[in-house]
Amino acid sequence: MDMSGGSAEGNDKSEGQRFSSKNKLTALVVDNGGVCRAIQTALLRSYGVETEAVEPGEAAVQLLASGATFNLIIIEMLLPVLNGPETARQIRAMGAQSKILGITSFFDGRQQQEFLAAGADGFIEKPVSPEIVIPIIWELDN
Amino acid sequence: MDRNHLKRQVDLMKRSLFDQGYLDEQFIQLEELQDDDNPNFVEEIVTLFFNDSARLLQNIEQALVSVPIDFARLDNYMHQFKGSSSSIGAKRVKNECTRFKEYCTAGNAEGCFRTFVQVKQEHAILRTKLETYFQAYISFMCVFVLVIFALTYICLLFCLYLFSWQDKLDHLGLQEVKLDDYMDEGGSLIIDLYYKYDKAHMIE
Repeated sequence: MDMSGGSAEGNDKSEGQRFSSKNKLTALVVDNGGVCRAIQTALLRSYGVETEAVEPGEAAVQLLASGATFNLIIIEMLLPVLNGPETARQIRAMGAQSKILGITSFFDGRQQQEFLAAGADGFIEKPVSPEIVIPIIWELDN
Repeated sequence: MDRNHLKRQVDLMKRSLFDQGYLDEQFIQLEELQDDDNPNFVEEIVTLFFNDSARLLQNIEQALVSVPIDFARLDNYMHQFKGSSSSIGAKRVKNECTRFKEYCTAGNAEGCFRTFVQVKQEHAILRTKLETYFQAYISFMCVFVLVIFALTYICLLFCLYLFSWQDKLDHLGLQEVKLDDYMDEGGSLIIDLYYKYDKAHMIE
């Protein structure tokens, strides 16, 4: 992994090279908020992760059903119609081995349990930051 | 217009936004994502935020005056609003959203009304401050670009002027003479032009 000039905790460009994945990684952002979708997508792409973004959970399920694969899937908790945990459940039911990260605006233990029970690997509160993303990309990269 | 003065102004404004608690480190993360491929990323995201949040605030306001109040719907709207606020680093707005959520979860309508006033207030203040900040930033960038353009133009004129000397000397029948004799004591001549002085042509 190319960590020269950067650190796992941050992405300080002033220190030289920005952290970037060494392998071709892919990610899917599922969020009905345009601002969150745009920021999470830009953040992942800045680390060399090819990222797609969709708004509803159904679109994410359809995407995977069509054969698309992703190393990382970030799913918002409160999605319209098909909520986050249900989206994760359906993705897992298709046999997807992606790392699934549930995400929410207000951390709630009950929501965390719901997401983990649905097959998610983790659950975090927004905003998505380099401190959260970089260790995940590191893990996927290796 | 003093470019350095403008830059200081922009830096002071930004520092003030952080010192007064309007923004947190998440805003810096947005700036880190701005590069040559996305030169206006921060402004675009902030503009998107204020467009989206205006709609959400309207939805929340309508939900608050509905009878009976649908706290689940209110919670959903605030969930989305808080998510985007925290994602752009709108610290004070985010904090008011958290207070609102507590009243909403408790089914406390009066508390919701009260904190919603604060949410709207912080949102409006942040909007004004960021609009002013971006206007100053754009002014600085315009001056910066103008200065670069002016310097480039001056260099181009200088090069054209130097090359025009060659034409004038050729016209006078001069061949190459070495211009080392014209170097100042510091030897700071940037371009060496070599011409030879042809006495035969001068006689003619």
